[in-house]
Amino acid sequence: MKKPDFSKLKDLDVKKAAKDFVYGKPHGERRLGDLYIPKTGLYKHREWRGIKDTMYYFNNIWLYNYGMIVRDLMVYGGGPKGVVQFLKGTWRYRWMGQTYLTVMHWFDRCLEGMRGETLAASAWHFRGIVSACLYQITGFFNRDLNIGGDPALRAKTIGTDETVWGGIIYPYMDQGGYYLPTQMIPYFVTCHCNNHTVLNYIDAAQAYGLPGDPCPMCQAEAGIFIEDDVPDSYVAVVTTNEACDGSVGTSVIQDWMMNKPLFAMPQVMQFDDDTVLENCAKEIEMAWRFIEEQTGLEFHWDELVKHIKLQNEQNRFEREKWDVAANTSNYPINGVAQALYRIFYSQYGERPFWHDVDKRVRKIMEKCVNEDINTFPKTRHRVIAWSCAPLYYSAWCTWAYNCWGLNTIINMDSLMFDLEIRTDTYENCLLDIAKYHEWAPMRRMAVGGLQHIFELWENMEKFNCDMVMMYDQLQCKGMQGVVGLFEDEFRARNIHAIWMPHALPDKRTVPRSQIRQIINDYMFTVMGEEPLDPSLLEFDDIDSW
Amino acid sequence: MKAMKIVKKTLGIAGLAYAGLFCVFYFDLDGKLLYYVVEPFMKNHFDNMKRRDPHTVPYEQIEHEYMK
Repeated sequence: MKKPDFSKLKDLDVKKAAKDFVYGKPHGERRLGDLYIPKTGLYKHREWRGIKDTMYYFNNIWLYNYGMIVRDLMVYGGGPKGVVQFLKGTWRYRWMGQTYLTVMHWFDRCLEGMRGETLAASAWHFRGIVSACLYQITGFFNRDLNIGGDPALRAKTIGTDETVWGGIIYPYMDQGGYYLPTQMIPYFVTCHCNNHTVLNYIDAAQAYGLPGDPCPMCQAEAGIFIEDDVPDSYVAVVTTNEACDGSVGTSVIQDWMMNKPLFAMPQVMQFDDDTVLENCAKEIEMAWRFIEEQTGLEFHWDELVKHIKLQNEQNRFEREKWDVAANTSNYPINGVAQALYRIFYSQYGERPFWHDVDKRVRKIMEKCVNEDINTFPKTRHRVIAWSCAPLYYSAWCTWAYNCWGLNTIINMDSLMFDLEIRTDTYENCLLDIAKYHEWAPMRRMAVGGLQHIFELWENMEKFNCDMVMMYDQLQCKGMQGVVGLFEDEFRARNIHAIWMPHALPDKRTVPRSQIRQIINDYMFTVMGEEPLDPSLLEFDDIDSW
Repeated sequence: MKAMKIVKKTLGIAGLAYAGLFCVFYFDLDGKLLYYVVEPFMKNHFDNMKRRDPHTVPYEQIEHEYMK
């Protein structure tokens, strides 16, 4: 056994050590990289943030969220029966049983180094995301005929592609109408929480004989069906082309293996064209007729308006948040919390748990503004992240701030659903819903035409950013086509931009360590800067969640 | 007296449980348990699970009212 080394104690500055214990080490002395166990991403011990913030993390984040997970299972699951269904589902589906149990480590990765109001507000965003996940997970399992779910609940449930906006079900919610995006929980969120699972589905699709070069998102979504890892929780399906032809291929596989009535509701390419908008509106009405035919539910206009108004309220608060983020140093939400929370709620649609989070975050944000709290005091560069992010490394923003002082203010996906839907007449409402549907993820900007992907420049100015983190999804044929155009623009506008290659959910193509290395190289060689925390420059987390 | 004893005992147990949970938290014992024990066990379970052959699903179009 190794003998303890007491020689260091001789040089110990007791006063400084006591101060660090009470208040936590200042940014620059933390050496967060030393906390990791090599390869695993586990901690030798979790970060000591000073008494106040450590106890906040322990009580209000770690303990609270473990407790609230049980509470959500009971409430959303409808009592003890919901817990039983949850356990059955955990045993039946890999994406649940191998993935989501590690949820608190997701918090850890994304909240490393955060303090005070930033820690609290960002953690509340994750609480909202986890609650939304559990709402869907219990929704899946309570209805799932594979594990003895309730056929009556299933009869009022529509499965959808994950990029079909959840508002499609608003008119039916007062009658028990339920919307289940078929890939959001089994695929999308797993990659952020624990990216081990998704690799099985990508490999399943390729082992089946499908080509390996299209978008790995499409491969993974097909793989879930090939692996027979899909709950039978919905009576019919509304699908869409999800912005690219790779996804159309996925839909063919899914349609075959779901073997359910299916309505295809396309997302159009040229969404600026008003005639296309009218056509899209007609297709949404057809989708509603399809839902009514399959479930027996009736269209309730008042119910639709009620939820749209609540959703508009959420969007107005989002704009307030952006205003604070753009024009002050008081914005208390870190890059990854901002990005994931925004895309989740704007895609999934209005539900009560989002409002609870917004209420709490508003309070924290107002405190930051009123007391002029500098929430990211070590900011060296204000970063805008553009294009589609690596799902397996959404926590890169947290690392980049801790290591280099790169503060991610906003990202492309947060900006795409910025639309207040009119409710004055049915016609106006329908047209705005159609526009909202057209502005889907990966379509609004990423493959929405050059003028839209180039909205980067105006947003860079609006959010007072001086650097771009340019995501480079190596297997997205749409975005690959504009790399050269961006290169030219960055040069012409004299903008610092770091290209971040990745393969969306698949960490094997570009590991996280390589992403960090690319950022390190740019910061050393181009910016001529030194890291705030050198222990974070290089570490091995290849097998981590 | 007896009531005080019970209160003290309850507080003692609660205090110990709280301290124990803090140790689990601080030393990332939940993460280590999940990483080294639970996940490999679940992975092994899912790797060996019998699954439906996807080819048993009929490849045909379902006709419905909305199509007409």
